[in-house]
Amino acid sequence: MKATEKKQPAVKTKKSAKVYLKRYWQLYLLLALPLLYLLIFKYIPMVYIQIAFKDYSIVESVWKMPWADNHGFEYFIKAFKNKDFLYALRNTLMLNLLDLVIGFPIPIIFALILNELVFKRFKKVVQTIAYMPHFLSWVIIYGLALQLFAPTNGLINMLLNNMGFESIPFLNESGHWVVTYILLGVWQSFGWNSIVYLAAIAGINPELYEAASVDGAGRFKKMWHITLPGIKPTIVVLLVMNLGNILGSGFDRPFALQNKLVMDVANVISTFVYKNGIKGLQFSLTTAVGFFQSIICVFFLLLANWIARKLGERGIW
Amino acid sequence: MKRKVLSILLACSMVLSLAACGGSKEAAQETPAATETETKEEAPAAETETAEADTAADPTNGEVVDGKFVETRKITVEVYDRGNDGGSDPTNNMYTEYIKKGMLEDHNVEVEFVAVPRWTEVEQINNLLAAGDAPDVCYTYDYPTIQTYANMGGVIDLGQYVDTYKDLLPNLWGWLGESNIYWDKDPSTGTIWALEARLAVSNRINTFVRQDWLDKLGMSAPTTKAEFEEMLIAFRDNADLLLGADADKMVPYSVSYDVGWRAATLIESFIDPDISDKEYYINGFDDRKFTQNGTKEAVRLLNKWYNDGLMWKDFALYGSGDTTEDDMMKAGYVGAFTHNWDYPFRNGEDSINANLQRLVGEDAKFVAVDCFEDSKGTYTKFVSGPIDRKLFFPSTNDEPLASLMYLDWISDPAHIEYLQIGDEGVTHNKIDGGVIQTVAATGDAIQNSGMNIDYTMTCNGLKLQDADLTVKSRAYSYANIDPALVEASDKICNTNMKVGKNVNVGAITAEEGQGPALSEKRDIVFDTAVTASVADFDSVWDAGMEDYLSSGGQAIMDERAEKWAATFGDADMLP
Repeated sequence: MKATEKKQPAVKTKKSAKVYLKRYWQLYLLLALPLLYLLIFKYIPMVYIQIAFKDYSIVESVWKMPWADNHGFEYFIKAFKNKDFLYALRNTLMLNLLDLVIGFPIPIIFALILNELVFKRFKKVVQTIAYMPHFLSWVIIYGLALQLFAPTNGLINMLLNNMGFESIPFLNESGHWVVTYILLGVWQSFGWNSIVYLAAIAGINPELYEAASVDGAGRFKKMWHITLPGIKPTIVVLLVMNLGNILGSGFDRPFALQNKLVMDVANVISTFVYKNGIKGLQFSLTTAVGFFQSIICVFFLLLANWIARKLGERGIW
Repeated sequence: MKRKVLSILLACSMVLSLAACGGSKEAAQETPAATETETKEEAPAAETETAEADTAADPTNGEVVDGKFVETRKITVEVYDRGNDGGSDPTNNMYTEYIKKGMLEDHNVEVEFVAVPRWTEVEQINNLLAAGDAPDVCYTYDYPTIQTYANMGGVIDLGQYVDTYKDLLPNLWGWLGESNIYWDKDPSTGTIWALEARLAVSNRINTFVRQDWLDKLGMSAPTTKAEFEEMLIAFRDNADLLLGADADKMVPYSVSYDVGWRAATLIESFIDPDISDKEYYINGFDDRKFTQNGTKEAVRLLNKWYNDGLMWKDFALYGSGDTTEDDMMKAGYVGAFTHNWDYPFRNGEDSINANLQRLVGEDAKFVAVDCFEDSKGTYTKFVSGPIDRKLFFPSTNDEPLASLMYLDWISDPAHIEYLQIGDEGVTHNKIDGGVIQTVAATGDAIQNSGMNIDYTMTCNGLKLQDADLTVKSRAYSYANIDPALVEASDKICNTNMKVGKNVNVGAITAEEGQGPALSEKRDIVFDTAVTASVADFDSVWDAGMEDYLSSGGQAIMDERAEKWAATFGDADMLP
């Protein structure tokens, strides 16, 4: 959205960027800090991407490390021969796709429902409660999940057992674990993610609703024909960003939730990199994996953006 | 649009060029440092030659007079931070003061401690090494980490120093001896990347059962696997009697996710007690004996127990360092478990046995039992050689001699004794015949690690200057614990103990970087096999083993076999 805000004035003052800079220099100064952050923490570290193509050495500078075999691609070949990496790739795709299919629409639906609530106070309370899990770390969420879902000591399974049912292996059987993983993710983030949509809804011109009422439109008609189209650009932008992240994954969520019994579905790229790179000291191999992951992410981002533009939306640039 | 793309490109290129500048500057700075250490490393070697020519020559070139540096030197030393409740700052307490003062007075060396979290030590040391910030004197339990950094030139070769300066290091040589100093010496190149600290007590693990439960059920302590199983079944079937309202919390036998460690005595009882050194070595990469002959049958038994409701169902869900299982033992829900030989006695007031007495009753306690017989009817316990932590100097260490003198100072029997038992009346009392009884200390005198093992880095286990007294005092070294329980556990540990030998055939390159990934695979196989249905056990185990072997396990075994043959020929046993 920032991009769209900037765009309009940029068109007006095409001729004299200098004048523009002069007039709004305070704003640019404010922008300088985040830019510096990006430079220091995102761009400068990119120098070390070279490690993926070189034989890593702790004492040599990155420029002096010898090139890896096979024209520097030795570690990419190694990665694709490593079946754990291929499993991690599959699991990352699977979990992220499920997250997208199930986790993406829920904040939208939640925002729509919240918007229809008449009692302001009740709306506020619900909203706050829904945000809260966002501020919990995944380690704590796993702790909660163990208290609730563990096969013998978990509250829910204890209740089930007392009512004469078998325990449900929420955490210790691969299929069930995936469901638990996805639902915990949805629970943790839907409230927070709905903020953007609520903000977008607030920006819709109320006259449209009034006009629709006059025309005899009911609640659902208004939702379908006014609210949803009103927030469509936001939805598309977020979808593009989410698709761009289809191969990326946070580290803490899978790492905190996984256990030894479900590693066949729980090992994702980020935990693979942690285990083999940081713990196993295979820095070149895991940098190669990380680099590959970034490239695929960029590809998906471009693709999603291109599709969005083809569909007549603005995209993110 | 075009213009925008161009501007983005320009911005990127600018950023890249900036980054490039930064990088090359770094390179320029690093080169002289590297050469510096190289020349330093070479220097003593050259001096040895002169020393040989003229025996009166001083290997230190007059830097050290009467064991003291002429100019004050400064070194940094690693210490584990265990983050225990009520502990003191591991880098600054009365024990560090004692060391600092002693080092300054005896050798004119200033010592500064650097804390490294105990439970993530390998990751932390990695970060410090990679950043060039590692302490001058480092230790870790993980030799592969040292080997990996040594291959990259990040570790000092101690081979030349320990011999050149032998006369300056009497305590180090006296305590570690040739066996531990040369333990990791490469047979072909003669390099020594790390010195092996010495284990004063070789005791490893034992199985413990609830004595009061046995008494209640009128049973005697089990002496065979069959009796042990009978006992577990009795625990399960009498949960109402033993636990009353908490009967549903009953866990007859408890393990953690690390089954290979927490059922090790059982697993080892399935291994041939007369196994050849060669076979033991070839399968020896995994310290949980995953690929040894017999392990599968042991796990099959565990799988049966699991499916019979004799084991804790949730064991695999709790990770390393989680206290849930300990809490269950302390609360009295667990009937039997296998762990470190002194596990229920550790931590004074907070020990498992002390908690049991408080929460369950005066007579509630865990006692050690010896009940997993092997094929010969003996109770063989495979323990590693007398080695403990590995001590090494990163290549950023500019004071190798001062650092070695530190190791020498910390190996002095008097210093070890003081650090282990502290002051009389504060951390210990003397009882009849001078036997040392450990008492729970308070305030500044609290030891963050048992017997200050984190400071006595060359020594693990009680070691007083008087050998007889050491043996007698060992049982009294656990505050608030009946010495008879410790003695019994100690005795069981030493029954049919088989101490590992040093097989030194050089570095196995296939092992590099494989440790964490393979250990995790092993744990996965152990856990999924134990929790599988009895019918699925074989397929789960075999598939897991196949995956383990094809992911690098087989390559390691092959290279080990090859190097064994190259060094020892056809021999099955070590010379």
